[in-house]
Amino acid sequence: MEIVLIDQISPDQVILWTWGFITIPVTLLYTWLVMGILVVGSWLITRNLSSDINVPRWQHVLEVVVSVIRGEIRQMTKKGADKYVPLIGTLFLFIFLSNILVVVPGYVAPTASIATTAALALCVFVAVPLYGISQNGILHYLKEYFQPNFIFFPFHVMGEISRTVALTVRLFGNIMSHEKVVGILLAVTPLLFPLVMQALGLLIGTIQAYIFAILSMVYIAAATTTEESHKHSETHKEEVREGIAA
Amino acid sequence: MHIDWFVLACQIFNFLLLVYLLKRFLFGRIIKAIDEREEKIATRFAEAEDMKVKATEAAELYEKRNQMLSETKEQMLNEATIAADAKRKELMEKVREEVDQVKTRWQDMLVREKDAFFSDLRQRAARQLYATARKALRDLADADLEERIVDEFLRRVKDLDEEKSVQIRKAISGGGNNVIIQSAFAISDQRRAQIEATLKKQITSDFKIKYLQQEEIVSGIELRVNGHKIAWSLNEYLETLVESMTETLQKEAHAA
Repeated sequence: MEIVLIDQISPDQVILWTWGFITIPVTLLYTWLVMGILVVGSWLITRNLSSDINVPRWQHVLEVVVSVIRGEIRQMTKKGADKYVPLIGTLFLFIFLSNILVVVPGYVAPTASIATTAALALCVFVAVPLYGISQNGILHYLKEYFQPNFIFFPFHVMGEISRTVALTVRLFGNIMSHEKVVGILLAVTPLLFPLVMQALGLLIGTIQAYIFAILSMVYIAAATTTEESHKHSETHKEEVREGIAA
Repeated sequence: MHIDWFVLACQIFNFLLLVYLLKRFLFGRIIKAIDEREEKIATRFAEAEDMKVKATEAAELYEKRNQMLSETKEQMLNEATIAADAKRKELMEKVREEVDQVKTRWQDMLVREKDAFFSDLRQRAARQLYATARKALRDLADADLEERIVDEFLRRVKDLDEEKSVQIRKAISGGGNNVIIQSAFAISDQRRAQIEATLKKQITSDFKIKYLQQEEIVSGIELRVNGHKIAWSLNEYLETLVESMTETLQKEAHAA
């Protein structure tokens, strides 16, 4: 059996086109596909939006999706949820669609590439302080790094970095490993078992999308919460973390 | 682990682009639509609540008006009933009065008819009695009843007391010395001379006699002079007879 290096199991290795340092791997192609589906679909559905009682069917679907995302965000931030909806909603929808399209033969999820997940995690990594500073001011945001005292500053920084890495690796690891497992199983037991694994893959993909979006929101909420509601949100965040860990 | 930095940069750009595009084409629009609908629904609920309150107020108002109307109706009905009762009583009173009037008129008429009847009866009875008496006298005494009547008249003139004589004398002189003698029958010349002689002897000699024949006197003779009279007729007897007959008839009527 041929041994495949970890470097070579990413869809980034499948190069479609290259010119100098510019390489277009299959990851980017499928990313654009997912983006295209999302943008064109949204545009088609929201062209003729109705704010009346009678609503078209597809608008209903989108309204349910957006309402659920909004509701989840509201549970954590209490107020001003709408300004986080584009970021968190896009994260969820992009990862969700990327993951569930694996049922299409020949498709490789962009989230199976560490470059993609790192890009998403980096966006969250930048978004957290941006939201925190815009909400409470730069001093208040920086002060949080020295809580309960200055000794904790390096730990806070390490925490920021490590959770970004964790976000990256969790999503990448889950999706990539699943694809590899399905690939190996297809070679070993080509009948019903890979089908079950594909179904499981859909579940894992959905859960990972949810976890990524929720954790991002938790980080943003932690940075934007004021002192008064600090204890309350801490408790809630702990509950969320425990739930995810379980 | 190998990371293609170009792909990473592209993916960051792609993701940020996607965030922008979805914000523009999906989240912004959908959230706006949801909010607008919620606002519309809230407005409609508020309107509905407002209309409900108004409807309740209107219903209360109409109920109150209905109550007032029914009260007024009842009051009017009562008043109308009272007025109708009063009117009925008034009409009844009027009818009663009219009936009484009619009754009175009818009774008057009855009395008049009765009187007429009895008057007629009296006249007929008197005539009959007169005829019967004359026939009887003629048959019995072979004497004319008229002669007897004149005799009785003459006797009465002779029997006049002084006071009466003076009154009649004064009456004759006051009435232009005219004396009227009425009788139901023709008086013979011999009898006329006899009457004239008796009057001259008993009362006065200065007068003129005028003889009149009146059927109404039935059977009798009377002397009329300026409000005084000397008379004899069957009427006196007949009146007694009529009265007793009237009494008998009324008793018969009551018994019936």
